[in-house]
Amino acid sequence: MRLEEGKALAEGAVSKAVSAGATYAEARLQSGHSREFILKNGESQPSIFSEGYGLGIRVIAKGALGFAATNDMKTGAVGELARRAVKLAEASAPVLKRKISFDDSRAVRKKWAAVEKDRIEGADATWLRGVLLDIETRIADGKAGVKLPGRFLVLWAELEEKYFVSSDGARIEARLPRVGFFGSLTAMEGGSAAQRFMQQGETGGLEVVGRVRLLEKVEEEAKIMGKVLRTATKPPTDTVDVVLSPELSGIAAHESVGHPQEADRVLGREGAQAGESYLKADSLGRKIGSEEANVSDDPTLVHSMGYTPVDDEGVAGKKRRLIKNGVINEFLHNRATAKEFGLASNGAARAVSFDREPIIRMSNTFVEPGDYSTDELIGEVRHGVYFKTFTEWNIDDKRLNQRYVALEAYRIEQGEVKEMVKAPVLEIATPRLWGSVKARSKHMDFEAAVCGKGDPQQGAPVWTGGPETLLAGIKLGAR
Amino acid sequence: MSLLDLEDLNDVAIRAAKKVDADDAIALTSRVTDRMIRFANNSVTTANRIEEAELTVYLAHERKRAIASTSNLDTASVRKFVQDLFESMKGLPASEYVPLPGKASKYSPSGVGHDRKIVEVEEELPELAKEAIDASLSAGGKRTAGVIDAGDVSTAILTSTGTSGSDRRASITLNVRAFAERDASGHGLSCSSTLSGFDPASAGRRAGSDAKRMKDAVEPEAGSYDVILSPTVASNIVESMAFAASAFSVDAGTSYLVDKLGKSVASESFNLTDHGTVKGGLGGRVFDDEGTRTRSTPIISDGVLRTYLHNLTTAGKWKTQSTGNAGLVTPHGWNHEVGGGDSSREEMVRETKRGIILTSNWYTRFKNYRTGEFSTVPRDGAFLVEDGQIRRPLKGMRAGDDLQRMFSSVKLLSKEREWIEWWEVDTPTLCPWILVDGVKITRAYE
Repeated sequence: MRLEEGKALAEGAVSKAVSAGATYAEARLQSGHSREFILKNGESQPSIFSEGYGLGIRVIAKGALGFAATNDMKTGAVGELARRAVKLAEASAPVLKRKISFDDSRAVRKKWAAVEKDRIEGADATWLRGVLLDIETRIADGKAGVKLPGRFLVLWAELEEKYFVSSDGARIEARLPRVGFFGSLTAMEGGSAAQRFMQQGETGGLEVVGRVRLLEKVEEEAKIMGKVLRTATKPPTDTVDVVLSPELSGIAAHESVGHPQEADRVLGREGAQAGESYLKADSLGRKIGSEEANVSDDPTLVHSMGYTPVDDEGVAGKKRRLIKNGVINEFLHNRATAKEFGLASNGAARAVSFDREPIIRMSNTFVEPGDYSTDELIGEVRHGVYFKTFTEWNIDDKRLNQRYVALEAYRIEQGEVKEMVKAPVLEIATPRLWGSVKARSKHMDFEAAVCGKGDPQQGAPVWTGGPETLLAGIKLGAR
Repeated sequence: MSLLDLEDLNDVAIRAAKKVDADDAIALTSRVTDRMIRFANNSVTTANRIEEAELTVYLAHERKRAIASTSNLDTASVRKFVQDLFESMKGLPASEYVPLPGKASKYSPSGVGHDRKIVEVEEELPELAKEAIDASLSAGGKRTAGVIDAGDVSTAILTSTGTSGSDRRASITLNVRAFAERDASGHGLSCSSTLSGFDPASAGRRAGSDAKRMKDAVEPEAGSYDVILSPTVASNIVESMAFAASAFSVDAGTSYLVDKLGKSVASESFNLTDHGTVKGGLGGRVFDDEGTRTRSTPIISDGVLRTYLHNLTTAGKWKTQSTGNAGLVTPHGWNHEVGGGDSSREEMVRETKRGIILTSNWYTRFKNYRTGEFSTVPRDGAFLVEDGQIRRPLKGMRAGDDLQRMFSSVKLLSKEREWIEWWEVDTPTLCPWILVDGVKITRAYE
C-alpha cells in the first residue's frame, strides 16, 4: 500500500476513535524503506532491504492516553484498532491520578520534504557497496599507515514517509530521505589495540556521501589510530584547561543538557527507563553555567539528521535555546508537557515508526558558536588537553555525572598543540562542566548519532555538535 | 492473521523464489502482539497495543546473497517482493556463502513458554500495575514508575530445501522503580513465561524497600572494591560477554574473545550456556533463522571458552557446525543461563571486607570491544559493605573493568537465580548474584 491509499484509512481511524468516545485522536500512517550494505574486512555481507508501513493511532479518553498500532491495513481492522485504543485508555482510567490533556497549539496543515538532490531511490545495493569499497581501498592493507584487522563498515539509505491527521485539524505529509554510515575500525600494533566508532549522516539523497566527505573522514580517522598506538603518552593528571572539539562539545550538549531538559523526564514520565532529571519544573531560570554556556536544539537545520520542521503531533518545530548565558532557559516539550507548564509546545514530539508513540526527543543539539578562531581559542591555553574524539562515554540517569574517554587527544602547552596523550578521562558533574566554559570558537561541526529513549525503545536520528569549547581548570583522570 | 496464514505466506514466497531460480531461499514470517501499560508518579501514563506481522526472505544465487523484510503481506505483493529482491541481486558480488543443508527438518512448537493466559491479558494490566504501585508505596516508595509488557510472538519458517515448522512464545515482564527522598531510588523486576509466575507486588516491594534504604546516600571513595552484582546487573554484563562470543563479532574485530577458544576466560566456577528453548525461558524458538534446530550450547564451561555462537556462514568459515544461533547475518543467543553456585547474597556480604552491592545499572559502554574495556553506571540501590556488614547507601559512582579480568575474578555465585529481561538486557538471562573482586569504582573528579 502506498501512502496515498492509506490517507482515507488514517482519517477514518480518527473518526472512529472520536465516535468511540475519544476527546482527542490522531492517526499516523508511516512507511519506511531502507537499504543497507555491510563490508566486514572487505567481504560483502548479504544485502539487506526492508519495507514496512503501518498505522499508529493515539487517543485521549477519560483523561487517559491509549496507543494502538497495526500493519494490517484492512478498513475493518483499522477501525477495530481505533475502538480498541479508546477502550485501552478508558480501562486504565482507574489507575489515573493525573488526567492528560494537550495544549492549544495551532494545528498545522503542511506538506514538507527534506532537501534532496539525487533521489534516495537511487541508493541500491550496488551503489552502497561501491561507496564502501572506495573506503576499503583507502584503509585496507595498511594503506592508512596502520594495520586494521577489524573493519566493519555499514552504509544505509532510507526513506521515511508520513501522513498525520488529528481531530484538532492537523494534516501533515512528510518525505524524509536519509543516508547514514557506521564504521567500527580496530587497529593493532605492537600488541596494543585502538578502536574507533564513527557515525556520519544527513537527510538528503545520494549527495550526502560527498557532502559529509565520508571517504576522506574515514581515511583520516584510520591514520589517526596509527598515531594513537605509536605516539600517545600518559596524559597530565594535574589541573588543566580542556578544549572540547565539536564532537565532544556535541556529545556533552546532548547528554547533559538536551536529555535533562526533556520535559517528560523532568516530570518523571520516563522514570522507569531513561530516568528522570536533576532539574525540576521550577528549575527554569536557574543559573547552571558560565555566561559562555549556550546550548540549543534546533529541528529546522537543513540537511540535519534530526530535521523535523513539523513534529509528530502536528506542531511546527522551532529552535530551542536550552541554556542561554548559563541559565536554564527552556525545556523540550510536547503538547502534554506544555499544557502542564502552561506553555505552548515547541514541537519536540517524534516517533521513529508507525508502531511507536510520539515522545519528546532532541533533534540537533549543539553548543552555540562563539567568536574565537580555533587557533585563538587554543592560544588561550597555557597548560591543557585537547579532546578531539571519544570512545567510551556514559552518564547517570539524572544526567549529573558524566564521563568521556578520548581516543584522539593532545597536550597543549603555552597555546600550542603538542604530542598525543593516551585516553584522558573527563569525568565531571554537569554544573561543573557548564560552569567552567570560558570561551567558544566560531567553527561549527556536527556528528550523526542515534539517540535511545522510550519503551519500546525508539532510536531517533539526531545531530550533536558545536564549536571548540574551552573549559577552565579541570581535573582529568586516565584509563 | 492465524499461524496458518503465516505458513501460507512462506509458501508463496518460496514458490516465487523457486520460480526465479534462486539457489537457496528462506522465508521467515512472524506475528507479534504486544500489550503494554506504563506508569509514572503512581499514575498510568499510557496503555499500548501493537499488532505486527512481517515476512523476511533470504535468497542466494551464484553465491550472491540478499535479505529483505516486508510488512506488505498480500499474495501478489509477496510474489513481486521476491522477484524484485532477486533482480536487485544481479549487480552484487559473490559473498561468503554456505548452502542450506540438503536434509529437510520439520518443526513443531516447542511447548515451553506459551501461556495462553499471557496472550489474553490486556484489560487486567491496569490492575497489575496497581499491585506494583501499591506494594512499592507500602514498602517505602513515594513515587513509582514502571512498565508492564505482555508479548507473544509466533514464527513460521519454510526453506527451499523443505525445512518447515513454526513456534511461538509468550512472556510478561515488569520493570518498576520507586523514588523516595531526593536521589533515593530502588529497582524491581518480575519476568516470567507464565502469568502465574508473574509477581508485580514482589518487584514493587523490592523497589520501594531499596528506595527507602537509599535515603542519605553518599558518594564512595574512588578505588578498588569487591562488588556484589545482582542478577539484574550481572545479566547486563553477561550480555556483552555473549555478544563477544558471536563468531561475527570475533570476525569483525569487536570481540575480546579472539583466539580464546579452549582457553580460560573466567573463573572455574563460571558457566554460561545458551538455550534455544528452555523451560521458564522468555525467548527463543526451536529453529533458528536458517532452519537449523536450536539447542543448548555451553559457551563457557568451568571458566573455559568452549565455542563461539555460529550460523551456517560463520561455521563454514571456522570449519565447524552451526550452533543453531542464526541470525541471517549475525549469530546471537536466545536465552542465556549463568550457572548457579552454592552461595547466597547474604554469604557474599559476610565474605566481603570492603565492597559494594549493586542492584541495578545502565549505560554500559565500551572503550574498546577488542580489549573488553568498559564502564557502567550503577543506579538505584547500592550499598557499602565493610567487614561483612552493610554500612550505608551509596550514589554517584561508576564501575569500570575489562571483561576478561572481571569474569576471571568471580569469587562466588548464588544458588538463587532470576530471569532478567528489561530495558538494559535484551536477551532473557537466568542469572545468580555474583561476587567479583577488584572492580574499579570512580566518581566525578570535579
